[in-house]
Amino acid sequence: MIHKGINFRALVKNYKNGWIAISKKFDRVLYHGITLKETMKKTKNTKDRVYYFPVEKNYSHFVGTL
Amino acid sequence: MHTIKYSILPGLERTGVLAPVIPVTFKNSVYEFPTFALVDSGAEQGLISTVIADALHINWKSIPRKSGIATSGNFLFHPIKDITAVIFDYEFNLDINVVEGINAFKCILGRRDLFQKATIVFEGFKNKFKIEFRELN
Repeated sequence: MIHKGINFRALVKNYKNGWIAISKKFDRVLYHGITLKETMKKTKNTKDRVYYFPVEKNYSHFVGTL
Repeated sequence: MHTIKYSILPGLERTGVLAPVIPVTFKNSVYEFPTFALVDSGAEQGLISTVIADALHINWKSIPRKSGIATSGNFLFHPIKDITAVIFDYEFNLDINVVEGINAFKCILGRRDLFQKATIVFEGFKNKFKIEFRELN
């Protein structure tokens, strides 16, 4: 099975901070909250499968760059 | 066999670096937390941030703190035993380190966990990697 790469840049671009809940196809943001708790609360009653990711300007420390 | 294309992370545009990121759902008892992990052959053991650990209701503060060394410097962590990870319907148990003072998104799977459960082939020149989970009895 082939999976497309996730364009986190496109997913976070409309948000300044907080957490986003990304769709199971990883192509759109379904919910956003300032805190993780708030975001998870919004998804509580949904049947949508979501993946949580924090909004940051720079993820370079994720992979380590010079 | 799953083939996953590398992902685009903000802040790395200048370098053009894409990342081998994989969706993962961690489970601790009745608590679940779906997020994304960096697949890192350079990491001895997987790690998660305290934010992720709190979302999983892991009582990491009750585990004695240890110190470790990484290329980025020293770090403090709490070793957690036996949580569950689910990747593409493949479920496995792992030990993981909860690391203090790192960004909330920090979530890494490494040689002692994911790399024990799957054959992973990086094709950086194609910006993709392949993962095939082992059939274990």
